[in-house]
Parts: sequence; C-alpha cells; structure tokens
Amino acid sequence: MSGRARLALCAAAATLMASCALLPLVAEPTWLLQLVPLVAVQTGVGAAARRVPLGRALTVGAQALVTLMLLTLVFARQHAIAGLIPGPDTFRTFAALLRQGADDVSQYAIPAPVTDGIKLMLIGGALVIGLLVDVLAVTLRSAAPAGLPLLALYSVAAGLSGGGADWLWFLVAAAGYLMLLLAESRERLAQWGRVFGGAPRSPGAPDPGALAPVRTGRRIGAVALGVALVVPLALPGIHGGLLDATGTGVGAGNGRGGTISAVNPLVSLRDNLNTNDDRQVLTLRTSSNDISDLYLRIVSLDDFDGTTWSPAQRPVVGVPGKLPTPMGLSTEIGRGEVRTTVTAADTYAQNWLPMPYPPSAVKVDGRWRYEPVGMTVVGDHGQTTRGETYRVTSLDVRPTAAQLAAAPEPPATLRRQYTKVPAALPKVVARTAREITAGASSHYAEAVKLQDYFAVTGGFQYDTSVKVGRGPDAIANFLKKKEGFCVHFSFAMAAMARTLGIPARVAVGFAPGTPQADGSVAVNQKDAHAWPELYFEGVGWTRFEPTPTRGTTPSYTQSDTPGTSLPDEALPSKGASSAPSAAASPSESCDGALRKLDACGSPSAAAVPHPEDDGTDPWWWVLIGLGALLVVAVPLSPLLWREELRGRRLGGHGRDARGAAAHTLAVWQELTDSAWDHGIPPDESLTPRKAADRIVRLGRLDPVAGAAVHRVADAVEQVLYAPRPRPATGAAQDVRRVIEALRATVNTGTRLRARFLPRSSVRVLWTLSARWARVRARVAAARPTPRRPSGQRG
Amino acid sequence: MSTYDDPASHGGVPDRAYARVGDDLTATVERVRGSIESVIEGKPEVVRLALTVLLAEGHLLIEDVPGVGKTMLAKALARSIDCSVRRIQFTPDLLPSDITGVSIWDQQRRDFEFKPGAIFAQIVIGDEINRASPKTQSALLESMEERQVTIDGRTYELPSPFMVVATQNPVEMEGTYPLPEAQRDRFMARVSVGYPSVEAELQMLDIHGGVSPLEDLQPVAHAHEIVKLVEAVRGVHVSEPVRRYAVELVAATRTHPDLRLGASPRATLHLLRAAKAAAALAGREYALPDDVQALAVAVLAHRLLPTAQAQLNRRTSEQVVLEILQHTSVPAAPGRQSGFHGLGRTIPAYPQQPPRSL
Repeated sequence: MSGRARLALCAAAATLMASCALLPLVAEPTWLLQLVPLVAVQTGVGAAARRVPLGRALTVGAQALVTLMLLTLVFARQHAIAGLIPGPDTFRTFAALLRQGADDVSQYAIPAPVTDGIKLMLIGGALVIGLLVDVLAVTLRSAAPAGLPLLALYSVAAGLSGGGADWLWFLVAAAGYLMLLLAESRERLAQWGRVFGGAPRSPGAPDPGALAPVRTGRRIGAVALGVALVVPLALPGIHGGLLDATGTGVGAGNGRGGTISAVNPLVSLRDNLNTNDDRQVLTLRTSSNDISDLYLRIVSLDDFDGTTWSPAQRPVVGVPGKLPTPMGLSTEIGRGEVRTTVTAADTYAQNWLPMPYPPSAVKVDGRWRYEPVGMTVVGDHGQTTRGETYRVTSLDVRPTAAQLAAAPEPPATLRRQYTKVPAALPKVVARTAREITAGASSHYAEAVKLQDYFAVTGGFQYDTSVKVGRGPDAIANFLKKKEGFCVHFSFAMAAMARTLGIPARVAVGFAPGTPQADGSVAVNQKDAHAWPELYFEGVGWTRFEPTPTRGTTPSYTQSDTPGTSLPDEALPSKGASSAPSAAASPSESCDGALRKLDACGSPSAAAVPHPEDDGTDPWWWVLIGLGALLVVAVPLSPLLWREELRGRRLGGHGRDARGAAAHTLAVWQELTDSAWDHGIPPDESLTPRKAADRIVRLGRLDPVAGAAVHRVADAVEQVLYAPRPRPATGAAQDVRRVIEALRATVNTGTRLRARFLPRSSVRVLWTLSARWARVRARVAAARPTPRRPSGQRG
Repeated sequence: MSTYDDPASHGGVPDRAYARVGDDLTATVERVRGSIESVIEGKPEVVRLALTVLLAEGHLLIEDVPGVGKTMLAKALARSIDCSVRRIQFTPDLLPSDITGVSIWDQQRRDFEFKPGAIFAQIVIGDEINRASPKTQSALLESMEERQVTIDGRTYELPSPFMVVATQNPVEMEGTYPLPEAQRDRFMARVSVGYPSVEAELQMLDIHGGVSPLEDLQPVAHAHEIVKLVEAVRGVHVSEPVRRYAVELVAATRTHPDLRLGASPRATLHLLRAAKAAAALAGREYALPDDVQALAVAVLAHRLLPTAQAQLNRRTSEQVVLEILQHTSVPAAPGRQSGFHGLGRTIPAYPQQPPRSL
C-alpha cells in the first residue's frame, strides 16, 4: 500500500472514530453504518483524484461534489435530478431537513431518536469533517492540523452529551487521530530513507521501512492516551479534564466557576434572561397521564417590596412522613393523587426540592427540612438536589370554575399577609387592575380577567431580552411597554391581584417538561418558569398562567370564558398518552420562539441557579466549534501556507526540460526560503554558489548537508546559465535534508518560529502589495487623462 | 565540498573534462600560468587576471607603486609565450612614431620604406605609460583598439594575439600625464599587484635572491596555441541572465550618486568578454554571474570617475563597484526582470539622477 493510500485510509478511520463520539447522542447507531460507506466513497474519490493526478483544488472540489451527491442520494433522492444530481429543489429539501433537525434537537433530550433531520445533521457534519480531514491530512499532507476538525467534532459531541462524554469515546477519537499522525510520520520517515534508530540499510537487505519508529510511536501514543485518561482522575482539581472545560466557555459568565454557590431564589424584575443553557436538569417519571399540569414548584415568593418578590423567612421542621393537607383545601374539591419520581442531574444544585404542588408526601434522602407554610422542602447544611432521586406524592387538585367563583373571603390574617403591597407601588398598577376587572362578579372572575389580559387580550409580547427598568416603576413600565417574560408577567399579575384584594404570591419552578421516548419527562433549564398563585378559600393556592406562549393555562380558568382563553390546539389533549410525540410536547409552546435561542428562557439566571455552566444549544456548539477552528486556524495559517508552498515546490515536476528547470528553481527558492525561516535572510545580490556558501557558513551545516546545498546550487547554475542544462536529480531530497540540518543547528525558539511564523511568509505580503501596485498602475493607465484647458479663448 | 564542475574557480585543479577548450588547451593555460607564477610569487589572482585579459583579447593596465613586480609580471607573461615581445619605456620625449613606426626614404630603392615601431609585436609592454605625452599615449591607444596602424595612408595589421600590458605608477605623479578617461576605457582591466605576503616575500628571497628569475624563463606556449584559446573563449556560452546581469551592473554605475561618470557600453562588452575568458580558464563552457562578479572591480573601477564629494569622503571607485555588486540582484530566473518572484529590485537601488555635466 502506498503511503498516501494508507494516510487516506487513516484519515477516514480517524473521522469515523471521532464520529463515534456522537453515538451516545442518539438512540440508535444505524446512522453510523450509513456513514461508513459514504466516508469510504469520499475517501476513494480523493485517492483516485490524487492518483490521476488532479490538482489539489480540483481534488478537493471533486470530493466536495461527490459528498454533496452522496448526501443527495441518501437524503433527497426524490428531489434530485436522476436521484443524484442536486437541483434547487434538493437544497430546499436540505434546508427543510436541517430546520427540522434543529427543531428535533431542541425538542428531544439525549438520546434523541434518529429523525431524518438529525440524521442529516449527523451524517452531513461527519462528512464535512471527513472532507476537511482528508484535505488537510492527505491532500495537503499535514496531518497535525487535521486534528482541529476532529477536535471540533469531538467537542460538539462532548458538549452535547452534557460533559458526560464517555472516556471510551474519547479514547476512540484520540486513537483515531494518533493513528493518522502515525501514518503521516511513517510516510514522511519512509521518504527519508534510512531511519534513525534503525540499523543502517545494507543494499541487499529488505527494506526495513519505518517499522522501528512506528513501534515507538505507537507506544508513545498509547502512553499519552493513558496519561490523558488517568491524570485527571488523580488530580481532583482538573475535574473532568480539558475537554470538559471547553463547555464552560460561554454562558452567563457570572463567575460560578466550578464551586456550587448557595441558591438565591430572588427573582427581581430587573433580572433579564440571558442564559443560553438548555441542559436537562430533572428527569421525571410520573403516574399522571397528563403532564400539562405538572408544574414543578421550587419555592413561593410571598414578600413583595415593590421591586422584588422574595420568600419569607419561616421556621422549618423535619420532613414528616405525610404532609398535612394544604391550607384552605376543602374536602369538596375533586382531587387525584400523582406519584412522581424526580431525578435531578448532577449539575443541578438547588436547595429547594422542585415538587408538584401541593405535595402530600415526600421521600427523599439527605438533610432536607420541611417549611410548612409554603409547603416547600428545603435543604439543610448545604444539602442540594445534586444527583438526588426523590419520590413525591402530590395532589392533583381539580377545582371547577363554579367552586372557585363561589369561594368565600379568605381568613383575615392570610388576607392581610398576602395582599400587602408597598405604598411605593405606582398607582397605575391598581388603576389598571380595576379597569381590567371592571364588571367582574367575584375574585375568581377578576383573576381570570387578569390572566386573559396578560395572555391574550392585552397585546403583551413575550420577549426575554426586555429591560423593563428598575425599582417600583418596573411593573408600571412593563404595563406600558407590554413586553417581558414570565417573571414580569407573574410579578405584575400577582401585584395586581393583591391590589384587588386577592391573596397572591409568585411561584418559581419549572413548566411541564418534554416527554421522552422512554416514558420519562425531561425538564430542561429552558423550562424554568415563574407563575402567580392566587388563594381561594376552599381551594387553596391556585395556579394561574398569565405568560403568553408559556406553560399551560389551567383548565379551571377556561370553562367560563371560552372566547378569551388561550387556544389549546397546540396543547396535548387532556388524558392523552404521554407517549413521545413532538406535537404532544407541552414545550411546543416554545416553538414559536425557537429561533431566538433564549426566547424560551426562564428566570433561571436568578431563580434557578445552576452550579456549572451546562449544555448549550447545539447550534452554539457548532458555532463554537467553527469559531475555535477559526481561532486556531488564523495563527496557524503561516504554518499551513508554508507547508503547502514547500510541498508544492518540492513536489513533482513536468517531464520536459522546461518543467525540470522550473522545478529546480522552485527547489532552490525553497532552500533559500527555508534558510530564511531559520534566520539566514536571502541576499539577492549573491550568485547561487555564493548564496550556498553563505547558507552553509551561517547555518553551520555539516559537510553532508553543505554538499547537498552545493548540489542544489550547481543544479540551479546549470538551469540558469548552461547552454544545455545537465539534468539534476534528487534536488528535492537534498533540500529536505538541508532543512532538517538547519533545524538541527538552530535553537528551539528559532525552530518554533521557523515552523509557526516563518520569516519567508512575508513574501505573501510582498506579492499582494506588488499585485495591488500593478492593479493601481493599470487603473491609472486606463483612466483618461483630463485634457488641460488650453490658454486660448474661444 | 566543492561539487561544481569547475573546482579551479575555488582554488583547486581545473576539471579535465572540459569539452570546449579541450585538454591540450587547458594544459596550455596551466603551463603559462605555472610559468608566470614561478616568477610572481603569491599572487595567483593577479596572474589569473592577466591571463584572463590575454584570452579575452583585451589590454591590461597594471597600476601600483614601484618595485612590486609590475614590469616583472608583464615580462613573465610575455616570455612564457613564444611570441614577439616589445618593451617601450615611456618618457616625456617619446614620439608617436617611436611607437607606430615611421616611413623613411630609401634612397637606393627610391621609395619610402616603413620601419615598424615598437607596437608591432604580439605582446607590448608599455612601462610607465603615464610619463609620455598625451600625443604619444593616444598613438598607442588608437592602435590598441583598432589592432592596426595607419601610416601615410597605408594600413598595417598588427599581429595576433595582440596585447598591451601597460604599467603606471600612482605615486610620483609630478611631470606625468595621467591617462584620460577615454584612454583608460580602452584597457580591459586594471590590476594592482600589491605587496606580497611575508611568506611569499621570504620565498622570493630564497629562490630569486641571486639571479633574475626572468632569465631562466622559457616559453611554454606558442602564439598559435594562444590564438586557439582565444577562439575557444569566443565560443563560451553566456546565458541571457548573465548578460542581463552585466548590463544591470554597468547601468548601475551610470546612476550611482557617488560617480561623476559611469562605465561605457564598451565596459559592458569588456566585462562579458572577460567573464567568458574567466569561465574558459575555469574549464567551464558557460559563464556564471560569479565570473562577472569576480571581474567587475578589475574591469569597471578604472573607468569610473568619483564625484568631488566622494573623493573628499575618500571613496574609491573600487568601493563603489563593490557596493553596486551588493545592491544588484543576480537574475535568478530566465527572462525575468530579477530574482525571487520579480519582487526584488531591479536597478533603481539609487534614485535616478538627471544627466550630469562633467
């Protein structure tokens, strides 16, 4: 097998192995089976094109074309000409598939089912990476930078799988890359002839090849992989290793930096959402068939100081085996019992237990305390939900509208406490509340009118990027601008309810999550939510949903006002199976805002703290990957350019005399440039042999390398000055030898500089400026010279 | 480490595989050189230059202080070759007819008889050429260029090879007539012998202490061999880049700010011919920029006139030529303006100046 073929094979293998890191992201590995032949064809086309040989650009073009045709064949056969040639229709199909894929990605938690869209993203992405790797490693012959696309692929996979990327996949991906490096070095060594470390080749003996260094290389690679796996375990501070840390690059950047800060449930109006996170925080398994009412409440905020709602400080007790019936719930109200098992993600640290309201029993390990008034469970001594699994039995209270409308006045103490508004609250709040609710016959009717006002009739826009302002005027501003998100809606509605004399508080928690394929419900960061709870005697604290496009409107607020309530076609029908279905997902309500990544965001930045920055939206990962690629590629571009140039100059040449002459000159140029890179600037006033002398002298080359320099200079003399140039052979090898000798004589700094910032790359600038000057000269010449006005009159 | 095909140019023995000039001719050159070097100790480059000028059909101007062997060099060169040699001691009262010859009335034959002057020889040694009057000098110089003498309407061809080796003394300038530029231009090269090294001088005392070395010098080559060599030199290939390089060098002297007068086109011609001869001497059948570079000072410097300012700054024309060599890029690609992607400079290393009046 030729060195290039082996290199191409290794590049394909490296791509496939890195793609394996994507395996845990989706449910089935079938796409990988599909990917293998596609990558094989792509690599084969590249190999064939290089064999022909086509030019580099042509090779890359052919590969890209074939890749596109392959994708067309697999994904858009019906929309292509002859099933293979992509037409405009094909691209529309691709776009639609990608859009669908993006939707699916945001819809499903990991592992996601393999929909067509996701499959296109996986296979298309892997093919693009494969193309990049092939171009870098084989066509341009620099395997080391080919690690960048591989790294991007792996980072995307690792980032998406929530940092929990298996060490196995890391091992596989890294091994693939090392294999590629090894193949490249092996080929390079083989070109050099005798290998250091090996016995000198005797003429008759079979070619020992590059086996000994390859073996050493394998050992080094294996050791490096082992070290990469083991050292992070031994050093707790590193925590998960380098790849994990890349995930925390973006995000709110509030200095959480690895330590788990105490939870601050404070929800302030001035806090805006700017989280890009959408990591799964909770996994639920519930006995309820209908999860649309499965709001998970973390805590209720009952103190309102005009700006901020905060939880009142109350004594806590041990968690009783059976929690008391919630305050105010009378026996007449219909109720069911829901059992829910909640598993919190390791990355989710909250010192309140998110629970459906009202809970009747909680089974949880750890130092948890019960706060009877708010019916919340609070972690004691730093106890958080991190990695906890707990069982909650809760009541599914099903009041009717009539029952709510007939609710008597609440007790005076409760009413006093929960209808208190600060005097600084702008009058416009109370006035607006009165205007909205004019004509309402009961508190319940008022509450429904308020909810409808915010959700439907008031013309409010859901917008997480809104800045409403600070201080007590924040609510007034919100009412005026009519833009905000759940925090604003719930605060405003609760405040207005209080001004109307309805006891109100704000609950913070999660809106219902997304049902998963395995019957569980995933609750993501994005589901974080805030909603008002209003108290009705006989029913207790009752949830309302004023935020448009979020959550679900409670059924008891709909029956009496069918014309004004939210249309619920998009919502799951009551009692529908919670089987996975994109349409049945309650978070469908977020779909309208999907394009804005954080539109479905939440007060999580304030109310739902997360100890570490976690999973970001996949598109962000793609962008980050590309950005990282760019950031790495820009400083490396001199290196890449130089390597490419060197390869081109030292590469093959035409068979005729002219081609040989051009080749010799290019080789000589490469020699002088390499010397320049190593600190010997070229002197154009020197003849070839004097320049050679100078390189040998300044480069302190040994006699062998010196002789090589002179051989090349001699070849140049022949080409330039002799009437019949004597054919010279081995000039390219001579130059490689000289470069190696130059590298050996300079110090490390110069060597690194020569590699990464070669001095001769300034030629690019010269060429550009010369071209620019030529263009300007041509433009100046083309411009008609204005005729001088003659002195004559008439 | 020399891998070139002409190790001679690096001080080694010339390669015998020289096709054009041929083994016997190379051997001839070597014999002559060895013969001269047995007289002029420790100055191989001067000997080499003298031979180069001989093969390039030029004339040599040896300029140095007295006693360093100027005349010795000229005589050694002349005696090593089996050819006619004349020596003219230039004095202020030397007449042109002493050089070119004179027609006198032969009463018996009742006809004018031409008595050839000292110029009618294959190698003419003009000692202290700057001591003769300009009229006499120009008589010599005319015949140098045209290789013929015209007297009384009759033209007499000079023999071939023909070479004038003139010496002049740069000190003791009182009562001399320095050669004008136009006449210096006729000399292909100017060379200074310079003082020998201590070793060479010691050796000279040992060997030549008693008897004049010139006495034992026997001709080692015949004139017709030299003629063949000259013809071989004419056939040396000069590629376009080398020609371009020579032109660029000479052109640079015409724009250099330190020079009042640059070199003439004849200088370009001489430079290339000398380069060809040097290539042939090195056993090469094609000229290299190295040949041009090695000869540039000798061929160009004596034709240049530094400006008054440069003279005040003690800048000699040799320095200027060296500077030009350092600032002119060697053509590294056939048919290109200059080397390295065409990005290097061409001639305008110096700002172009308006034509100067002398």
